[in-house]
Amino acid sequence: MLILFIVGPLVRLLFMASPSGLGSALADPELQASIALTVMCATAATAIAAALGVPLAYLLARARFPGRRLLLGIVDLPVVIPHPVAGIALLLFLGRHSAVGGALASLGLEFVSHVPGIVAGMLFVSAPILVSGAREAFVTVDPKLERVARSLGDSAWGCFRRVTLPLAGRGILAGGILAWARSVSEFGSIVILTYNPKVASILIFDRFTAYGLPAAVPAAVLLLMVALAVFALVRLVEPREHR
Amino acid sequence: MIRLDGLRVRVGSFDLVDISFEVPTGGYALIIGPTGSGKTTLLDAIAGHAPLLAGRVLAHGRDVSSLPPEQRRLGIVYQQYHLFPHLSVGENIAYGLRYAAGDGSEATATRVRALAGLLGITALLERGVRGLSGGEQQRVAIARALAPRPSVLLLDEPFAAVDPATRTILRRELRVLHEAEGITTLQVTHDFDDALRLGDMVAVMAEGHIVQQGRPEDVFRYPNSAFVARFVGTGNVVAGQVERTGEPGADGRFAARFVSGTLELHVIADREGLAHAVIRPEDLLLSSTPLPGSIRNRIEVVVERVEHLGPVVQVQLAAGRDLVAAVTTATASDLGLRPGVRVWLGLKATAVHLV
Repeated sequence: MLILFIVGPLVRLLFMASPSGLGSALADPELQASIALTVMCATAATAIAAALGVPLAYLLARARFPGRRLLLGIVDLPVVIPHPVAGIALLLFLGRHSAVGGALASLGLEFVSHVPGIVAGMLFVSAPILVSGAREAFVTVDPKLERVARSLGDSAWGCFRRVTLPLAGRGILAGGILAWARSVSEFGSIVILTYNPKVASILIFDRFTAYGLPAAVPAAVLLLMVALAVFALVRLVEPREHR
Repeated sequence: MIRLDGLRVRVGSFDLVDISFEVPTGGYALIIGPTGSGKTTLLDAIAGHAPLLAGRVLAHGRDVSSLPPEQRRLGIVYQQYHLFPHLSVGENIAYGLRYAAGDGSEATATRVRALAGLLGITALLERGVRGLSGGEQQRVAIARALAPRPSVLLLDEPFAAVDPATRTILRRELRVLHEAEGITTLQVTHDFDDALRLGDMVAVMAEGHIVQQGRPEDVFRYPNSAFVARFVGTGNVVAGQVERTGEPGADGRFAARFVSGTLELHVIADREGLAHAVIRPEDLLLSSTPLPGSIRNRIEVVVERVEHLGPVVQVQLAAGRDLVAAVTTATASDLGLRPGVRVWLGLKATAVHLV
């Protein structure tokens, strides 16, 4: 029943769009720009999450230190926060009138109603996915492999690069793709931080409220296809033991 | 040479305390102890993977205590071998050679081929490591550890993951390899057989301490506690009381009686009071008639159980306390040993080791 509940609406949506409707949606410059913006921002958010999150994930997987459990909880916190609440929190933290937002604005980095606001919203909701995936991938690499590599003369960084990363790579990549997909689907926080320029999820919402279901369906189907492609990619790169 | 000088290590709530031990250059030493005695932690501390709270590790006179693992030149082989699963056998062996000074690609290939030849794994060089047998994995792990010419080789239970037949072969090969390479080797194991067959030196560990060290045959013959006696499998360990019956000689030792329940033995002791008598099964002599007078202890006993272990027969005897004797199959047959049979047991007073 649950499987039917998940698959049913998606199949129904896919069959709602006619080929001609999809063709004209693909040729729609506003939708094209929106999808390009979504892909670009999701890629940027994933890259930032990877740059900051992979070292953090390694630390959480390997080190035992006071406050580790608290840190684990903080990393997972965005998962339990309703996304509009996250949007409001980010607005208060990164808005021009906050200390951080004001300082960053003076450096030319504006968030509210600007592209960095979209990236910030995506990063907030997707980073936990990447960190969890990477942490799990690092945990599966036996620390004794690293010890052997060090005893063979490899430095800590060399051992990470030549042993840990290749062995955890597929898990980290799968976590990265899932984080990217989560970014693409984000709506709740972005709608509060940066309604314009519109990412795909907001454009679909906008067309639905302004013109009704027929106008929203082709764009929704396109976004669904992107999500399905990502899902297939994740299944392909995921470490075999996780499948 | 590797010298451990008063090492103190803490991992979680487990402590290694005052570990001092020395393996001479080219020597083969073993640290034995039951599971949880701290053997692997000690190897990790020597290799630089567990921080020292106190003490020093000296490798060939060089204090390596504060060096990171990659600068210690100590090769390590773990129990499960831990081959790099994303590399081929050849790449595994060559891993440490990229850091060995002066080793170019030709020198690397030559060293890999030489070690593979020595360990009989040349045919495996191009293969991945998944699917290798336990014995093959062990050979690859040893070749990998030896490749960068470490000053000391550390082995963590190297025979634990292989079947008994492979273990026998690998023990022999390891001894030959040790002699060929002349590398100072320190192995940890829970099996005293390894110590008897491989080691020049042995240290017995219990709960984070070294409780006895010396030549393997001396530790086996003269354990210094009931724990060591039981652990190295000396045989019979009986708790009882020592009572003096004679005057001390020049060496301070005196004739005494060891009493445990209804078992009474003539012994040579150096102190009175509570003690354990350690008696090797092969020192218990069995006969159908009382043994000659030079043997002080002559007791009539009943055979309780007879166990055939290849060329040796283990005989459990009711002698006030249960004792186990080891005799040849020929002796067992001549005496007609079977449960319920009464035989005479002989034991020299000097064959009872008191701890």
